[in-house]
Amino acid sequence: MASPEVRITAEPVDEQRCKFLVDRPVYQGVRRFTSRAEAQGSPLAEALYAIPGVSEIIVSASLVTVVKDTAEPWQVVGKSVGAAIRQALAGGTAAVVDKGPATGAARQTDDELYERVNDLFEQQVNPMVARHGGRVELIDVQDAIVLLRMGGGCQGCGMASVTLRQGIEGVLTEHIPEVKGIVDITDHASGDNPYFASAKK
Amino acid sequence: MPPAITPTSPPPRSSLPRLLLLLPTATYRTTAFVEAARRLGVDLTVASEQSSTFEGARPDALLTLDFAHPDHAAEQTRTFAARRQVNAVLGVDDDTVVIGAAIGAALGLGGNAVASVEAARDKHRQRELLARHGVPVPRFQLHRLDADLEGIARAQAYPCVVKPLRLSASRGVIRANDGRELTAAIRRLAAILSQPDTAGCATDVFLVEEYVPGAEVALEGLLVGGALHVLALFDKPDPLDGPFFEETIYATPSRLPETAQRVLADTAARAAQAIGLTRGPLHAELRWNDRGAWLIELAARPIGGRCSAALRFQDGATLEELVLREALGMALARPVRETAAAGVMMIPVPGAGILREVRGVAEARAVPGVEDVIITAHRGQELVPWPEGSRYPGFIFARGAEPEDVVAALHTAHRRLTFVRDRQTD
Repeated sequence: MASPEVRITAEPVDEQRCKFLVDRPVYQGVRRFTSRAEAQGSPLAEALYAIPGVSEIIVSASLVTVVKDTAEPWQVVGKSVGAAIRQALAGGTAAVVDKGPATGAARQTDDELYERVNDLFEQQVNPMVARHGGRVELIDVQDAIVLLRMGGGCQGCGMASVTLRQGIEGVLTEHIPEVKGIVDITDHASGDNPYFASAKK
Repeated sequence: MPPAITPTSPPPRSSLPRLLLLLPTATYRTTAFVEAARRLGVDLTVASEQSSTFEGARPDALLTLDFAHPDHAAEQTRTFAARRQVNAVLGVDDDTVVIGAAIGAALGLGGNAVASVEAARDKHRQRELLARHGVPVPRFQLHRLDADLEGIARAQAYPCVVKPLRLSASRGVIRANDGRELTAAIRRLAAILSQPDTAGCATDVFLVEEYVPGAEVALEGLLVGGALHVLALFDKPDPLDGPFFEETIYATPSRLPETAQRVLADTAARAAQAIGLTRGPLHAELRWNDRGAWLIELAARPIGGRCSAALRFQDGATLEELVLREALGMALARPVRETAAAGVMMIPVPGAGILREVRGVAEARAVPGVEDVIITAHRGQELVPWPEGSRYPGFIFARGAEPEDVVAALHTAHRRLTFVRDRQTD
């Protein structure tokens, strides 16, 4: 029996970044791609890199985050992304394959950063967001980029981007300057208990 | 190449200017403004009326201000600015632009006068100034809620519209065609103004104004050095005849004749001048009929909700970037909107109830021309129809060759959505 049509929900974060929530698992784990070369062997990443302007991809469970460096709006690029996801999932093989073990200094750096970021999250970040019923989960550190997911009161909160940029990112940059960036892979559209809900016109 | 606009504010006093962004915790616009500030590379301080849990750890990045009292907020900011230079301040909605003006005056940052933005926020004061300066507005009268309603009804010409002075999103705005409808509308408005969330919104008085028939448009503009630059003129193709005035579709470019568009833009510019607004975003609602242009509402803020995503400018700039550039006195090329037709539907509230699920989002997105469907209501949220409500459950965006294509796509997409609610009433 053919599987039902793949349903995908797009949630643009900004001009550069958009999250695509797929109604089924895409990859068990988290994988980030920063180049076409890295995408080799992963049909989904290969298909996405065929879209002009795509510069980075993060796949986490059923969430695909795509970063682009063109002015083309997500409303347009998103259709190509959706087609690429559906094509990859229909292929019969794994849409994303595991990354080969990192070698040498890079792996060591990411592992070390993971530990430090995790400690920071546990000791400082989570006690702070917990005051609004939120939590922040460190998903991975890849190439010094921190991947995180927000939950509880932070998920879908109208001020989540303030917490992310003005709070978490600032604390990270201050304490661990080696961190090069931060990526929120939260499905905010699924948040059903946001601390602040948007209400004003 | 279009000529550049000369900003009125002084250049930033440091290479990395600091912007104080006033974001109410309930605004839809947080991400759009925060990310625009990041793209412009400014030092950003976000101020809200409730504290962020990170404020202690990030005192330069986050600030809590008394949004209920602009003078107090200005004093609080003066204390903040004593240790951290502030180059510009920007409010994003009707209330925070007043606070921003108070802060701007206290810190000597320039900007619109407090009296001007207060007048823009107060529908009665706004109409008084517009009428005094010859800007066409509906005939209006201010009444007290405890006045003799039957007497008001007897003296009123019909049809008319009842309006609160300060609520947003047409909340509490009701058309009445006769005396019986008018007294019922006033009582309904009184109930709305007794709700706790309307405190501080001039809840003991209201306006009754002439109903002006005709095509309604929304003008999005940017005031630079006192001159109005029209960024977009949106038609509102769905009828807004009442009895309530929940917005639905905005589509641009307008299909009104060029001459009408010029008159409408001129009317908005004269309205801004009459109120004393000289810079920053301007959002105006106008009507056009055989008697000409009528100014219905004017606000010293950008378009509301998520609707700004319908606008796209040269070089991919967003509306928020243009607004921030003007506020910061940064270089600002004359904004030119893309050539494609674009539109947004503020999804109507499907009825009262608790939202459980939204079906058909993927199908709505698949409609040719539709570029995105954003559901902003969350599961468990109470949906409240107009005129008591003011929260759209989501937004649909579309683009196309012609505005008619855009409008058709928005309607088709909307028909594919199903809002599953508890306590369904329709």
